[in-house]
Amino acid sequence: MTVTDRAMKLLKGETIDRIPLFPFILGFCAKNAGYPIATIYQDASKSFELQTFTLEQYSFDWGPLYGYASYGTWEFGGEIKMPESNYEQAPFHTRFPVNVEEDVDQLQLPDPAKAGVLPIAMEFSKLQASNQRPISIICGGNFSIAGNICPVETLCRWMLKKPELVHRIMKMATDHIVDVVRYWCEAFGAAQVIPQMWEPLAANIIISPKQFERFVLPYLVESSKKILAMGVQHILYHICGDQNKNLPMWTQVPTGNPGLCSFGIDIDLSVAIEYLGENNVIIGNIDPIALLSETPDTIYNLCKTAIEKGKSAPRGFMLSSGCEVPPEAPPYNVYIMQKAIKDSMASG
Amino acid sequence: MSSRMEAEEIFKGLSEAVIAYDEDKSVEFAKAALENDVDPTDAILKGLAHGMEKVGELFDKQEYFVPEMLACADALNAAVEILKPHLKIRSEGPQVKVVIGTVEGDIHEIGKNLVRIMFDAAGWEVYDLGGNVKLERFLEEQQKTGADVVALSALMTTSMAAIPEIIKMIKSAEPRVTVMVGGAPLSWELARKYGADGYSPNCGTAVNDTLEAIRRVREGHGSWER
Ligand code: B12
Repeated sequence: MTVTDRAMKLLKGETIDRIPLFPFILGFCAKNAGYPIATIYQDASKSFELQTFTLEQYSFDWGPLYGYASYGTWEFGGEIKMPESNYEQAPFHTRFPVNVEEDVDQLQLPDPAKAGVLPIAMEFSKLQASNQRPISIICGGNFSIAGNICPVETLCRWMLKKPELVHRIMKMATDHIVDVVRYWCEAFGAAQVIPQMWEPLAANIIISPKQFERFVLPYLVESSKKILAMGVQHILYHICGDQNKNLPMWTQVPTGNPGLCSFGIDIDLSVAIEYLGENNVIIGNIDPIALLSETPDTIYNLCKTAIEKGKSAPRGFMLSSGCEVPPEAPPYNVYIMQKAIKDSMASG
Repeated sequence: MSSRMEAEEIFKGLSEAVIAYDEDKSVEFAKAALENDVDPTDAILKGLAHGMEKVGELFDKQEYFVPEMLACADALNAAVEILKPHLKIRSEGPQVKVVIGTVEGDIHEIGKNLVRIMFDAAGWEVYDLGGNVKLERFLEEQQKTGADVVALSALMTTSMAAIPEIIKMIKSAEPRVTVMVGGAPLSWELARKYGADGYSPNCGTAVNDTLEAIRRVREGHGSWER
């Protein structure tokens, strides 16, 4: 089976020979081929090439992918900086478009053809298309974009003191997501596009389930419905951080047939399957810190447990790191994920 | 408020106003403190800071979240603004100066800011360097301010790797400075391995754990046990 076959068959509900390995591995791919991490974010064709090497080396079944968590700042008129030093892992914001109330009036919807990083992302997606890889666009989730438009702490204060401002920014983020996905659909055909939304800021270490329900859920539902109405078949949500108390509400977000939901270590895979397994392929959730600092044996056991739990996912399961693989992770630890998959197949 | 109020009543009012993130009420009680000749330092420590300590506990129990934490801090700060001009310099109570920041490569600032709020609430002098702070900036700022404590926050494994470097810099130049570390990927074990003097798992415990660490450093324990 080719790289993409396995995952695509899984989405179609067909039988596959083994559990797919889903990549959440960016900076590592640059280091692995002797390049600085920034290459992954700055140079679409080099990024595609470097990721391809690593994905092949470790037999990943999806990717390459382009995106980062600070998405939205640049597109809405702020500034980001690409990673440079040894300690930097991904782009980060240096100036937000919104800092005070008056800035909200100035916000305008970005042009998906021109704004911020989108031209690089588009060039990357063209490479996905010409190499028969799944076409993705990583933009979102809605609240995480809002938190990249306006510092999340300001958003948090406004939730209690000026809720209408939060709603206005959320609406902007939501319209932007829809615009971007529409632009991608026009370029590649809706059935080919699998948008990815990462939603770390909605974690319950930051906002309460009530705040999620009031300020986040309606917007997730709105953009998802609009995206599916374009003809998109599958949406991937990375439900980052501890969102255990949000999980019952996530079931209301349409994700396609099936959708895809990926999780970090804060959500037990069995719980994820219980809430979201019926409609979604479940992806997760090997601890990135373990990948960096634990022994291969420990990682192997984590994978075995995850695979065991994943087996009961009705729409299927893909093994993955719970969030980005640390760029400094020992390569052997990354390899162990594939080994655990192969061994699990051998043992039935 | 016109009628005479007892100090205890004012402390309680301040504390409750902070917990209820009611800025109007915290300001009202701060004014009442001044009108009733309550020592402003007591109003801060026994009223406002006491309330904020409870807020830290509510946050740890996931009854409060970041929005509530920040709003409570706003209520506290509004009252402090009123009390500040009337503060008499006092020597009792721990007078701690802290430099705090999220280390290079890392923009995760939410947790660091909550810890900062608790340090502020304890009446400490806080120098906040923000996020993505270059390694050498911590020592520079410590030397400029004569801070007793440098508090480092890291949320990513890449940036976490900068911590031992920073500690080395500080300890070779200023061995009597206490270094605290925190952030989701850190632990007691890692903190010790990196050569830090202390660690705290969350903002509710940060003030006490820092005081403990300061004590350990002053008593000359090179390493620490838990
Ligand atoms: C919110 C968030 C973001 C936001 C940050 C917004 C902001 N302004 O801070 C955004 C979306 C921008 C973001 C970006 C990224 N993120 Co992020 N993010 C998170 C998330 C979901 C929550 C972090 C948080 O705010 N927690 C809430 C606070 C209250 O908790 P806390 O920080 O732990 O702080 C408490 C304690 O630790 C302690 N404490 C904290 N500091 C200190 C300091 C001292 C001295 C003491 C005593 C105590 C202390 O007290 C605090 C209060 O109780 C975590 C997931 C997680 N589970 O932690 C991922 C996470 C931190 N992110 C991660 C990653 C990978 C990224 C990106 C690299 C993704 C990417 N490829 O683009 C980028 C990095 C950008 C950069 N260069 O820094 C990973 C890091 C993995 C790793 N270990 O290396 C995490 C852990 C997700 C995961 N499960 O893997 N992220």
